[in-house]
Amino acid sequence: MLANVFTKTTQDWWKGMTIAVVTLGAFLVMGMAVYRDIDISIYTSMPDAFLSLFGIPNDADVGSLAYGAIYTGYGALTLTAVTLVLGAASIAGEERKGTLGLLLGNPKSRTYVLGSKAAALVLVTGLGALVLWVAGRATPALLDVDITGIDVEALVLAMSVNALFYGALAMAIGAWTGSRGLASGATAGIMVLSFVAVGLLPLIESLDFLAKAFPWYYFSASEPHLNGVNWGHIAVLLAGIVVFGVAAVIGVNRRDLKGQTVGVTLIDRLRANPTTAKVANLLAGTARVSRIWTKTISEYQGLLFIVATFMFLVMGVMIGPMYSLLDTALLDLSDALPEALLAAFGGGDMSTPEGWYQLESFGLMAPIAVMAATVMIGGRALAGEEENRTMGLLLANPIRRSTVVLEKTLAMVIAGLVVGFWTFAGVAAGSLLGGLGMSIGNIAAVSLLLTLLGLAFGALALCLSAATGRVPVAIYGAVGLALVFFLLNAFLPFSDRLGGWAKVSPFYYYLSSDPLVNGMHWGHGALLAGLAVALIALSVMLFQRRDLRQTG
Amino acid sequence: MTTEFAIQTEGLTKHYGDVAALVDLDLDVRTGEVFGFLGPNGAGKTTMIRTILDEIRPTSGVASIHGMDTHDKSVEIRKHIGYLPGDLSMYPNLTGRDTLTYFANLRGGVDWDYVDQLADRLDADLTKKVGDLSSGNRQKVGVIQAFMNRPDVLIMDEPSSGLDPLIQREFQAMMREVASEGRTVFLSSHTLSEVQRVADRVGIIRHGHLIALEAVAALRSKAIRKVDLYFDADVDESVFVGLPGVREVESQNHHVVLSFDGQMETLLRVATDRYSLIDITTQEADLEEIFLTYYRDAETTG
Repeated sequence: MLANVFTKTTQDWWKGMTIAVVTLGAFLVMGMAVYRDIDISIYTSMPDAFLSLFGIPNDADVGSLAYGAIYTGYGALTLTAVTLVLGAASIAGEERKGTLGLLLGNPKSRTYVLGSKAAALVLVTGLGALVLWVAGRATPALLDVDITGIDVEALVLAMSVNALFYGALAMAIGAWTGSRGLASGATAGIMVLSFVAVGLLPLIESLDFLAKAFPWYYFSASEPHLNGVNWGHIAVLLAGIVVFGVAAVIGVNRRDLKGQTVGVTLIDRLRANPTTAKVANLLAGTARVSRIWTKTISEYQGLLFIVATFMFLVMGVMIGPMYSLLDTALLDLSDALPEALLAAFGGGDMSTPEGWYQLESFGLMAPIAVMAATVMIGGRALAGEEENRTMGLLLANPIRRSTVVLEKTLAMVIAGLVVGFWTFAGVAAGSLLGGLGMSIGNIAAVSLLLTLLGLAFGALALCLSAATGRVPVAIYGAVGLALVFFLLNAFLPFSDRLGGWAKVSPFYYYLSSDPLVNGMHWGHGALLAGLAVALIALSVMLFQRRDLRQTG
Repeated sequence: MTTEFAIQTEGLTKHYGDVAALVDLDLDVRTGEVFGFLGPNGAGKTTMIRTILDEIRPTSGVASIHGMDTHDKSVEIRKHIGYLPGDLSMYPNLTGRDTLTYFANLRGGVDWDYVDQLADRLDADLTKKVGDLSSGNRQKVGVIQAFMNRPDVLIMDEPSSGLDPLIQREFQAMMREVASEGRTVFLSSHTLSEVQRVADRVGIIRHGHLIALEAVAALRSKAIRKVDLYFDADVDESVFVGLPGVREVESQNHHVVLSFDGQMETLLRVATDRYSLIDITTQEADLEEIFLTYYRDAETTG
């Protein structure tokens, strides 16, 4: 398997992809089973605008609902997220690890390495698509659901090409800049923005044409699972892939490769300048290294800045005025929609500003945003220092292991509060700008619950980090469980028999009390906080007992 | 804080699954000495160090530093030690000075004049980010970090890696100064010449077993010599194999080189009996050869 760069890369990558697509396949089974058991006739009475937001066709049946929600929504996002992470790792990842120089010490050109990585990306995405196709074909047969009229092949093809589009973009950015963080961050930003824009813009009549400017449009707008392959749209995506590929080849060949060096940041320049040196030193030097938690927070300032800005501007401020722009037909829906159905999309009643915010911001995006910060910090807290081999040096100082765990936890708590605060500020501002008149206290309540939810899963990542010393186990473990719990909370309420089991999911204690309308539910808040505290205490115990890992 | 022994281990054993990384290690490191801990890669040196630092826990046995149990009193112990890990990694985004400030804060402060003095002696640049330093210059930051709190016990794992010869000499002088102040240096190394130069005593470890523990001077006086016989023609080295005192024979280009600790008379008789001997040089063996000798002995005896 180590015959060449292509096979080694494929070997490195296939596992992550397999986990993602097998999980998606399982969700398809679960989703279809749930949809089969409920009365879905209510869909037919809904207006087009609402349905298009979720990619649900007008003549909804069990099959199109399941494929629309699971594959077109979560599935496409997940598949794309995996390929963009791999694309970003292609060149920039090897550079960061310091292995690219070693690789290029062999008589192989940069273009060869890039080509091998690209081929591996196509193959791994293809394998993922294959699994999704098999699951997509086997599930209806297994559950005896009629899927006449559903074009699984067209859907999986569109998903793969769409995913490769973002993978190629990430690869190109990585090849030009050598920065993996920039490549995956910028691409993920474009992906999310484009996904949200393509979902929302068609709802605003005067702006619907703008959706075509966002690449996600060429995946979802033609509804390939219903209408078959739209070759025109596929061609647009393929053209993008080719352009990014060429850009990557040019990018990787034209610049100096980075060693294992670190970039020069703005604060470094300020420190070098005599007039600003004093203040900059206080920020970047003295203050940053004064305690373990300050240093930990400083390492995530970029991530926190991006997440907080996204929540404040996009999910907070922008959503408010958009409510006023919405098609008024949408606002009359309140009585027509059963609550259980809306819960599947994070809950929320579209006819009220609170419901609108819950559906757009708090249901899905806000948990993702807060967990991006807390799970990342919690997961890397201990295992990150072990994998970077700095833990031995840190613990050579006269401090307890429990001190390290608790100071890292403090950094995570601060990060959760920062995201929660800026979400609160953004939504409050959005409510004012749109003249929605939402209760400030209730916005604070839901933001606090959001922070606590993030901390519960951050503490779970911390616990896995403390137990294993392995960053991937901690982060993927926590993210995987979060996904499972999210879907349990979304789907179980549909079932009469299993509805009560939604309470095992931490997500239940986040929005089920409808805090934007009813204010703070202290019981639920205490439960989430208690869960976090218990997991943190467990982390301390686990970390104290374990041998530190020597290498990553 | 001063006890007779700086580091003591009793029956210290560490298994990783089925692999025994450290077996029944009994070791006493005296206060005020430079102790060299020698062994090839994978012999168990780092495992021993990580165990006494409480990074990992022994499968059986105990260890103490200045009489304090390395597990129960690990935080107290770490107030009094300086540690330089092998294969040093630090925080790439911090400058050298930031890194030292961070650790100084975790220690509750250090004497910065002393830090500057150390940086001066090692010619270290503390203004650059650690991630931008070459491995040798990064190592200097690590060395300063280990020395800066004037620890009672300095534990260093392969500390000279990447340092150029001039800096190495300064570094060795620094270690001798620590010992002359009555403090202790525990120096793990596979660079025998370095240990030979600075250590008072040396322990040799192989496959997790301590196979020798001697004063450096005593090791030398084992009287193993290196004898170089120069003939007028190539000779068959096999005639020397098996002679009493001959440990190792190599022949090349009219020379026969032996590790030898027997009677010179016997050797010369064989050498002059059949061949024409032109020149003979003999010199005290260095630790390298002694080391190999110990290894071979340990191998043949099991």
